[in-house]
Amino acid sequence: MNWLRRNIWRLLTLVASAAFALGFASERFPDAISFLTRLSPVLSFLGALSARAWLGWAMLLGVPLLVLSFFKGRVFCWRICPVGFVTETAGRLNPRGKTLLRRIPVLNKTVFMVIAVTAACGYPLFIWLDPLCMFNGFFAALRMPFTVASATTGIAFVTVLAISVLVPNVWCHRLCPLGGMQESMSLIAGMLRRGKTGEEAPGAMKHAMARRTLLAAILSAVAGIAAKRVFGPNGRKVLRPPGADLERINALCARCGNCMQACPYQLIKPDIGESGIDGLFTPVLKFRSSDPFQEQYCFHDCVKCSQVCPTGALRPITAAEKKKLPIGIAVINRKKCIAWEKNEYCAVCDEYCPFKAIRLVKHGDVMCPIVENDLCRGCGACESACPADPIAITVK
Amino acid sequence: MNHEPKTSKPYADGIKRRTFIKAGSAAVAAATVTPAVAAEKPETTIVVAKGTDIAKMIEEGMAKMGGWERFFKPGMKVAIKPNLAWKSKPEQGGNTHPDILRAVVQAAQSRKVKQITIPENTCQPEKETFPTSGAIDALKGTKAKLYRPKPADYREVEIPKGKICKKAKVPKDILEADCVVNIPVAKHHGGATLSISMKNWMGSVDNNSRRGWHREGLHQCIADFSTFLKPSLVIIDATRIMLNKGPQGPGDLAHPHEIIFATDPVAADTYAASLFGKKPSDVPHIKIAAEMGIGCADLSKVKVVRVEV
Repeated sequence: MNWLRRNIWRLLTLVASAAFALGFASERFPDAISFLTRLSPVLSFLGALSARAWLGWAMLLGVPLLVLSFFKGRVFCWRICPVGFVTETAGRLNPRGKTLLRRIPVLNKTVFMVIAVTAACGYPLFIWLDPLCMFNGFFAALRMPFTVASATTGIAFVTVLAISVLVPNVWCHRLCPLGGMQESMSLIAGMLRRGKTGEEAPGAMKHAMARRTLLAAILSAVAGIAAKRVFGPNGRKVLRPPGADLERINALCARCGNCMQACPYQLIKPDIGESGIDGLFTPVLKFRSSDPFQEQYCFHDCVKCSQVCPTGALRPITAAEKKKLPIGIAVINRKKCIAWEKNEYCAVCDEYCPFKAIRLVKHGDVMCPIVENDLCRGCGACESACPADPIAITVK
Repeated sequence: MNHEPKTSKPYADGIKRRTFIKAGSAAVAAATVTPAVAAEKPETTIVVAKGTDIAKMIEEGMAKMGGWERFFKPGMKVAIKPNLAWKSKPEQGGNTHPDILRAVVQAAQSRKVKQITIPENTCQPEKETFPTSGAIDALKGTKAKLYRPKPADYREVEIPKGKICKKAKVPKDILEADCVVNIPVAKHHGGATLSISMKNWMGSVDNNSRRGWHREGLHQCIADFSTFLKPSLVIIDATRIMLNKGPQGPGDLAHPHEIIFATDPVAADTYAASLFGKKPSDVPHIKIAAEMGIGCADLSKVKVVRVEV
């Protein structure tokens, strides 16, 4: 009873966070699915910094937490954060309590700094460690039709819960980059205050700290630039949702699952290995599903996924912009094509193509399809409708 | 079959072909009673209304068809099949004009039918096509139920006269309806040459069925299915017709400003094809349907009753 009274506020925020993560009000306001993730300045601002783009007014949802941390330190963590509450509660399961924590170094500010510096280099590392994003991903996994792949967006949160049982509070006190961000902000606020009053921190300590910070910053900048060079252009080609930053999506993507939840046709799935180790759990488009009662192509007027990405891995685009952005290109296998091979009337690809990218040529008695590469946007309408078995047209 | 077959239900669970034919001929018999469609020498009569006021055209055209009473009786279950396959605005001619849909629904409703269902298996997502086509607005305030059938809404039927297409899954509401009204739009079609009333049934059957038709011979399958499902009434939207880039469009339009009324889908399609300058021999499924005895594809044997509005 006491516990309940003490924690009523945190319970309420937990329920509210879960509701938003589960898509509360997203029927009416499609953006609502992204609200929880956008609260984190690590995602909103460092994402925008690395994407070098304005991500829409919704990114300003990150402002309150930034301001709060400047004046009040980590008050968000102890009062509001749903992950903080859940991991703390999970930690109570461990009988040895907090004693385990002492041996572990405080890494949260370092983790935050690595993200911030690499974000400034345009290739953020570990942005997916943001707690709100993990929490959101867990619920995204619950909302999608269950598959092994779809469950992977929940892995991060479950892992954090597990380590919180093994070593209580290690996440919040030692690792969390959002906590690190808040501590850094209040440190900066403290320095600014001391600067005004003329107070000085003890000299030796100040120097040691400054040296360490500088070294870590340089190292992470090097790592960020190196990763950008090595991973960026060498990613394996997979189909990405429209508006994706193709070279940097593996770094920018926080694996929050918003795009997967936003897709009205459930075409976006977490990648499990197609795009390489650094692309694990990033969003890929899958047009063809075994259920022919699902619309299975990236609808040419729909830009919902791009509107809910907190980090700019998918840039917010308009329907008009989408019509100019190729997702991939359709390729016909004439050996499987009903028209080319069997000489039957078909042309379903032409029928469904919203871009008029199929040219029909007379071959034998019937009209046969050819893809006009400069018109094709790779939306997958043809692939999803192709009646051939196995299908004769696929987006590559 | 666990229930008594009812003679008033033409398609009761599919296999009742005989019952169905009886019901069909009953409708033809009923036609002879009415003045304009007096079954004289020409075997088939169609009505063509020309004008710009769709509601008026439907009213006048149906008067010539013998009035709505001929088709809609109180307590009936009515199923309507418009074409709402694409995200296409009314003026683009990709879908049946919403005013026609509304006129038919209102007519049914004012004749106190029990239920009006509009199952439509769209090509593009129904969340997009239903509002853009104008159908949602057109049906506002009516009791008609427009929906995209889910797997559970389909029943498999046998098509005894089918040459290739021997089975298909059809929405339950169409099979159980006492009166099925087919209200297609006439337009160009990349695979089927033209999409008019018989082709419109591809938007009724389930996705697996229609994919199969493409694999196995599109034109024959369209005709095969029309041996099974014969509408009580066909109303073809030819107020504007898409001449190319069909079926989705947007393509070039012509504006015949016509609405075609018939009970014979083949005659109706043949007349509509003539608006595109096409003969039945240019549109294989019309030709095949005539050969299979579904209807008359010889316009010289069809009496065309014209009304100007």
